[in-house]
Amino acid sequence: MKLRSAGSALLIAVLLVFFSLFLILPVYTVAKDGLDPALLAEIFNNFLYREGLINSLGIAIVTTFLVTLIALPPALLYDRFEFPGKNWSHLAIMAPMILPPFVGALGFQQILGYYGVLNGILASLGLERIDFLGGEGKFFAVCIMEALHLYPILYLNLVTALGNIDPAMNEAAANLGAGRWYRFRKVTLPLLKPGLLAGGSIVLVWSFTELGTPLMFGYTRTTPVQIFNGITELESNPMPYALVAVMLIFSAGLYAVSRMALGGGASAAQTKGVAGSAASPLSGWKKWIPTGAFALLTGVAILPHIALIFAAFSKSWYQTILPQHATLLHFENALSHKVVVPSIINSLQYSVLAMFFAVAAGLAISIVTTRWRCKGSRLIDLASMLPLAVPGIVIAFGYLGMTVHYRWARLVFDPINNPVWLLAAAYAIRRLPYVVRAVTAGLEQTPVDLENAARNLGAGAWSTMRKITLPLIAANLIVGGLFAFSFSMMEVSDSLILAQKAEFYPITKAIYELSQILGAGPRIACAFGVWAMLFLAATLASAGLILGRKIGAVFKF
Amino acid sequence: MTNVRLEQIAKSYQAGKPVLKPFDLTVEAGELFFLLGPSGCGKSTLLRILAGLLKPDSGKILFNDTDVTDFAPEKRQAAMVFQSYALWPHLTVFENVAFGLRAARASGKVIKEEVTRALEIVHLADCADRKVPSLSGGQQQRVALARALAVQPKVLLLDEPLSNLDARLRDEMRVEIRRIVKERKLTALYVTHDRREALSMADRIAVLNQGILQQTGSPEEVYGRPANRFVATFLGDGNFLDGICKTEKGVLKVTTSVGTFQPADAGSFMDGDKVTLLLRPECIRFTDAAGDNTFAAQLKNGVFLGDHREWFCQAGDNALTINESAASRRDSGEYRLAVAPEHVVVLKQEC
Repeated sequence: MKLRSAGSALLIAVLLVFFSLFLILPVYTVAKDGLDPALLAEIFNNFLYREGLINSLGIAIVTTFLVTLIALPPALLYDRFEFPGKNWSHLAIMAPMILPPFVGALGFQQILGYYGVLNGILASLGLERIDFLGGEGKFFAVCIMEALHLYPILYLNLVTALGNIDPAMNEAAANLGAGRWYRFRKVTLPLLKPGLLAGGSIVLVWSFTELGTPLMFGYTRTTPVQIFNGITELESNPMPYALVAVMLIFSAGLYAVSRMALGGGASAAQTKGVAGSAASPLSGWKKWIPTGAFALLTGVAILPHIALIFAAFSKSWYQTILPQHATLLHFENALSHKVVVPSIINSLQYSVLAMFFAVAAGLAISIVTTRWRCKGSRLIDLASMLPLAVPGIVIAFGYLGMTVHYRWARLVFDPINNPVWLLAAAYAIRRLPYVVRAVTAGLEQTPVDLENAARNLGAGAWSTMRKITLPLIAANLIVGGLFAFSFSMMEVSDSLILAQKAEFYPITKAIYELSQILGAGPRIACAFGVWAMLFLAATLASAGLILGRKIGAVFKF
Repeated sequence: MTNVRLEQIAKSYQAGKPVLKPFDLTVEAGELFFLLGPSGCGKSTLLRILAGLLKPDSGKILFNDTDVTDFAPEKRQAAMVFQSYALWPHLTVFENVAFGLRAARASGKVIKEEVTRALEIVHLADCADRKVPSLSGGQQQRVALARALAVQPKVLLLDEPLSNLDARLRDEMRVEIRRIVKERKLTALYVTHDRREALSMADRIAVLNQGILQQTGSPEEVYGRPANRFVATFLGDGNFLDGICKTEKGVLKVTTSVGTFQPADAGSFMDGDKVTLLLRPECIRFTDAAGDNTFAAQLKNGVFLGDHREWFCQAGDNALTINESAASRRDSGEYRLAVAPEHVVVLKQEC
C-alpha cells in the first residue's frame, strides 16, 4: 500500500509531533539543563555522585550477568527437550514478572533480613545471625532481586532466538564430529547473539536506571535514588538535571556498547530454512530433570512473593522461621487506609488512559512501518523503540523539567494540581515499544493480500481497516493493551517522581509510602502488594491465553 | 573405502505409523548410491538415521562390518550435506569448511591444507574469506560439499543438495558432484525425489515408497525393468495396458484389449496370470506392419517440447502417449503402432 492520501501524510505528521512532544522534548529538556560542563564536572568530582554512578553501573553489570546465568539454561532445556509439563513450566517461569521488584523487595527483606527467615534458621541451628542486608549486602540484594524479576525478558528472547535457529545448524556440527560443548560454544552461542543482544541490553539499561528496588532496600547510593531525592529542590538545585543527563548518556552508551560487544548479530539472525523443532523427547527418569529444573527456578524466583503473601497474612513474623498467627487485618487496613482506595482509582484512571494512548499510537506506528513502508517509516519505527534505551527516570524528569520551563506544559501537565495527563502520557510512552511489537507481530502474520482483496472488491481504506485488518489483529491489540494497562498499573519510576501529592498517588507510590510508615506500615504495604500481584497475574494470564506461545514476540526487540 | 550395510532398519515417529518398514540394503564401497522416492517416503529419515541424527527403532547399521548403530553423530565419520546447506552465517567460508577439522583438533597446517584442497575441489578457493550470506545459492551448495569433504568422511551423505538451485546450475552440479565422489573414491548416499538427477548420476538406485523399499538396481534396471507400477511411474512416463498371459507354442504372450504382445523377458509369469504391460512412450513407434506387438490407435493431437514431440493417442479405452523426434510431423487420424519385444515390460497387475 503506497502512501497516497493527505490523510496518510497527516498521520505520519501526527506521529512525528507525538514523538517530538512526548519523547524528544523531555530528553532535550533534560539534556539542555543537565549538560552543563560545570555541573557535569561536579558530578565526577563529587565522591557521593561518583559512587552513585559506580554503584548503578555495578548493579547493571552484575544483574545482567545473573540474568544470563539464570535465563540461559532453562531456555536451552525448553528448546532442546520435550518433557512433562513443558508448557506449564514455560508459563510458570515467567511468574516473577507479575510484580515489580520493588514490591518483591518487601518479601525479600522478610527472607534475608537480620530477623528474617534465613537468620531464623541459622539461629535455630545455634549459629550466629548474619546481616545479609547490611553494608554491601544491600548491593547484592538489589542485584538478585532485579535479576529474579528481569530474567523472564531474556528467557523469552532466548527461546525465540533458539526457535529461529535451524536445527540443521547443530546437526551439521555434530555430523562433522563436534561434541556437545564444542557445538554450544561454536554454533549455538554465536547464533544466539541476536537474542542475547535484544534481551541483555534491555536488562542492562533497566537495571542501571531502576529506582524502586534500591529505594526499597534503602540502598541510597545509586544515581536514580540520588535523582529522586533531589526532586524536592528542583527549582533551586539543577544538580538532578545533570545527574539525569549523565544517566541518559550512560544508558545510551551501555546500550551501544552491549550491541557492539555482542557483535552486530545481523548475520546470525534468523537461520531457519526448514520447519522443524530440535526438541527431542527424554525417556525414563531423565525426562523429569528439565521439569525439576523449571520448578526449582520458579520456586526460587517467586520466593520473595511467597514471603510477601505470608507477611501480608501474618500478625507477626519476627525472629521466627515461619510467620506467627494468621490474620486478614492487614488486608482490611490496606483497603481502609486513606491513600489506598484513591490510589487504586488513580492508577485505573492513569492506566486506562495510557492504554488508549499506547494502543492508538502503537497501531498507527505499526501500520506505517509494516504496511506503508514509506519515507520516514524507519525513523518512526526507531523512535518507537527509543523508550527502551531512554530510562523511565529520564523521561519522568524530562516531563517535570518541561513543566518548569514551558508555560503550556504547566497548563496541560500540572504535576502538583493535576498530573493525570502527565502520568498517562509518561506511562504510555514507556510501554509503547511493547504495544508496537505486539501489533506489528499481528500485522506481519496477516497476509497483506487479505487487505488487498478487500480493496480490490471496492472497500475503502478505512472500511478495510475496520472490517478486515482490525478483526484479524484483534488478539494482538488486546494483548498490547493488556500489557500497557497492567505494566502502567505497576509503573514505579514515573509514579514516584511525577505523583507529588497524596491525592494523586498511584498504587506503586502508595505501596512505597505505606512501607515507610513505622509499625504495621510494611505489612499493610505487603497486603496491598498481594492485591496488586493478583491483579497483574489475572491480566498476564489473559494475555497468555490469548496469544499462547507467541507472547514472546512482545518482548523481542 | 567403506561399504554400508543396513539390516532390518525400521523407524516410526508415531506408534502404528511407520516411516520406514524393516528392510536390508547394502551400498558397496565407492558407490554413488541414490535413495529415490516421493516426499514423505522415508528417504531423508533413512539418511538421518545413517548420520546418527535419528535413532532407528530396530535394526543395525554397519560401516565395513563395524556396527555404528549406537554411535553418536560426531563419532560416525558420515559427513552430510544438508538440504538447507546448514552453513553457519557467523563464520567465513574457510571457518565453515575448517569446522570439522578443528573439532577433531587437527593442527593449523593440516587444517589449512585440507580446507584449501576441499575448496579447490569445489572451485571456491577464492572465496575462503567471504561470509556465507554473501555467496550465491550455488556457491553455498559447494561450500556445504567442501565442508563435508574436508573431514575425509568414511561415508558422504547428501540430502537433496540441489533442490534449492535453478535448473542450469543443477545440471552443472550433477556433473561436479559425481566427479568429486568418483575422484575421491567416496561411498556416497544421495537422497532425492528428482528422477532425472538419480538416473543421470547414480551407480545404483533404491526406490522407496511409504517407507517400503520397492526396488534396488542400476539406473537402467530400475527404469527399464521396474519392479512394479509405482517404480515404473516414478522413474518415468509410461503407458499401461492390462492383459492376461497366454502360452502359445511354448512362448508366453500377453493378450490385451488392443492386441497381443510378446515380451522378450516374461520373468516368472505363467499362463493365466493377470498382468499389466508397461510401454514407455519413447519405445513406441509408428509402423505400417501388422501382427504381434503392433496395434491400432487414433492420434488425437500432439505437443512440441523442444527436444521431442509428444503425441496423444487413443487405443480402445486406453489413452497413450508416444514420444517422437522433434522434427516429426503428423496429422490426427488412424495409425498403427509397434513396440519391440525387449521394450515390453510385464508387471504384476495391482488391484
